[in-house]
Amino acid sequence: MAIATQKTAAETAYLEGFDAGGDWLAAERQKGFDAFAVTGLPHRRMEDWKWTDLRQLIGKAYPPAKGGAVGDIDALAAKCPLKDIARGHLTFVNGEYDAGRSQLPASGDVEVTALSTASSALPIGETAADPIDGLNRAYVTDGAFIRIKAGSNADAPLELVFINSSRAEATFTTRNVIELEDGASATVFETHMGGHDAYVSNSVTEVRLGNGARLDRVKLQMEGAASYHLSNLKADLGAEAKLQDFTLTMGSATTRQQGFITFNGEHTDATVSGAFLLNRKQHNDTRLVVDHKVPNCVSRELFKCVMDDEARGIFQGKVIVRQDAQKTDGKQSSHALLLSPTAEFDAKPELEIYADDVVCGHGATSGDLDENLLFYLRARGIPEKKAKSMLISAFVAESFDDVDNEAVRDVLKDLADSWLAAR
Amino acid sequence: MLEIKNLHVSVEEDNKAILNGVDLTVNAGEVHAIMGPNGSGKSTLSYVLAGKDGYEVTDGSVTYMGKDLLEMAPDERAAEGVFLAFQYPIEIPGVATMQFLKVALNSQRLARGEGELSTPDFMRLVKSRAETLKVNQDMLKRPVNVGFSGGEKKRAEILQMAVLEPSLCILDETDSGLDIDALRVVAEGVNALRSPDRAMVVITHYQRLLDYIVPDHVHVLSKGRIVKSGGKELAQELEKDGYANYSDEAA
Repeated sequence: MAIATQKTAAETAYLEGFDAGGDWLAAERQKGFDAFAVTGLPHRRMEDWKWTDLRQLIGKAYPPAKGGAVGDIDALAAKCPLKDIARGHLTFVNGEYDAGRSQLPASGDVEVTALSTASSALPIGETAADPIDGLNRAYVTDGAFIRIKAGSNADAPLELVFINSSRAEATFTTRNVIELEDGASATVFETHMGGHDAYVSNSVTEVRLGNGARLDRVKLQMEGAASYHLSNLKADLGAEAKLQDFTLTMGSATTRQQGFITFNGEHTDATVSGAFLLNRKQHNDTRLVVDHKVPNCVSRELFKCVMDDEARGIFQGKVIVRQDAQKTDGKQSSHALLLSPTAEFDAKPELEIYADDVVCGHGATSGDLDENLLFYLRARGIPEKKAKSMLISAFVAESFDDVDNEAVRDVLKDLADSWLAAR
Repeated sequence: MLEIKNLHVSVEEDNKAILNGVDLTVNAGEVHAIMGPNGSGKSTLSYVLAGKDGYEVTDGSVTYMGKDLLEMAPDERAAEGVFLAFQYPIEIPGVATMQFLKVALNSQRLARGEGELSTPDFMRLVKSRAETLKVNQDMLKRPVNVGFSGGEKKRAEILQMAVLEPSLCILDETDSGLDIDALRVVAEGVNALRSPDRAMVVITHYQRLLDYIVPDHVHVLSKGRIVKSGGKELAQELEKDGYANYSDEAA
């Protein structure tokens, strides 16, 4: 529905900054632009956006941009925590493919390209009829296309690195496609890093899993402290497939991450989990929509959220079980630890069930550290600060158990511990 | 070692007075048993000595090794050698038992100005103590107390005590929930730690534990005061006659 409202500075900058370009993405950009021109930025009167009013939050103009990095990109690249575990890297700096910082895997079963270097059109779809997707398609400059051939394994992890730095008041837009054909498997990391300037990062990932395919995806959101991170994940899952998805969110001033998971084939498992480590006035609104369209699938969501200072965490999780989707097993939980009286957590779990033979549940808890646990540790001689760190670390680490790769789990623990040590 | 004088304590939440003038002197090498009916203030006394929040000392003093114990934070008390074996040991999901023991021991050592114990030395220490207490490796690999049976939790408490080697051990109802075999194992572990420079305060409702951990002194706590003190025979007397004779004395 188009409501005639005055355009904000940010919206005007987007609308005026549009250029479909002359490459194979031009038609997609036009579609995205047409969609965004109707919706504009989302605002609080939209139920799904009531906690994250982008019209207000993105107060200034952040014109779409590409490249132009002048800062210390090397320092940010060196800080990517998963770089030593990954066996291939695609690096995008300010939304532009950086061949010098990329090493593509050599295997012929694995097709990896940057969108900007593709010789012909690649299949790009819509992730959701929503403003993040519209904005993304309208202004996409680059991204990774990964296709694993049927029956092939790309289990040596491939890392997509997005570094946004030193170009203030710009929007950087990337779009990735991960396509696993039948029986293929892959591990993909997404690392989002950024400098201290204010910018908008819009990054969308489309995942398509064929029958019997398996994807392990780990995303680290460590964008710059003044930035906005907008992101959609869309995963379409075939039969007997497996998706293990994990996101650690530590960066950005404002984050809106959405996941749209759709079960299209039976006997498929999807685990979508994550952790938030937020302080100062950080704001992270994570929204998931898990759609069971077919019977006999299992979905698990577990989010462990730690908020300090005046940080605010939001988890909106919806599980839809269609009438045909009998024997669905869906569980969703979000648990928050509030480390300061001014921190806040909001949870909105929703179950929409049309089938009658399903096991579905959700749980949401929110609270501060358990005084009895703290006393027990202190009574054994552990100083208060250390005791608190141990308990917070243990709280967050429960979500890391959903990551199969032990080396990645160790990195996640180290990241959590260094966040705690800096408190 | 420990001198409690005229200790008055109330619960902060509702201002209810629990301890109404406790006097107790414990010297190095001694084992004192504190017995009393439910609600007499036994657990409160143990928590106040260990430094739990939520209790207000309204009068009196507690001196430990010449220092004002009540002025110290719980972790400082532990580093000074005070150890409370909890009546209900707490489960800590996500914190591995070995990591917990190592951080606890090394925190105490650092606070005392001793160096940290190396990992191999630490492993050797825990392994030898664990064998004595029949704590198996599997328990050590699990998160602290998670999934432990009642008896395993109590053995784990005594294992912590054996590793941390405190000077003052306070055992709060260590016998509750234990069958006779587990009780024997726990008591042997405790007895192995008896030494001329270590004192113990054993809090219990029943005399049973005192058959295995034989005390030098027995005190009866009733309505927040020690109403009678004697030798080990006092415990047997209580077992025979119950607490009925004491319930009104402090009224």
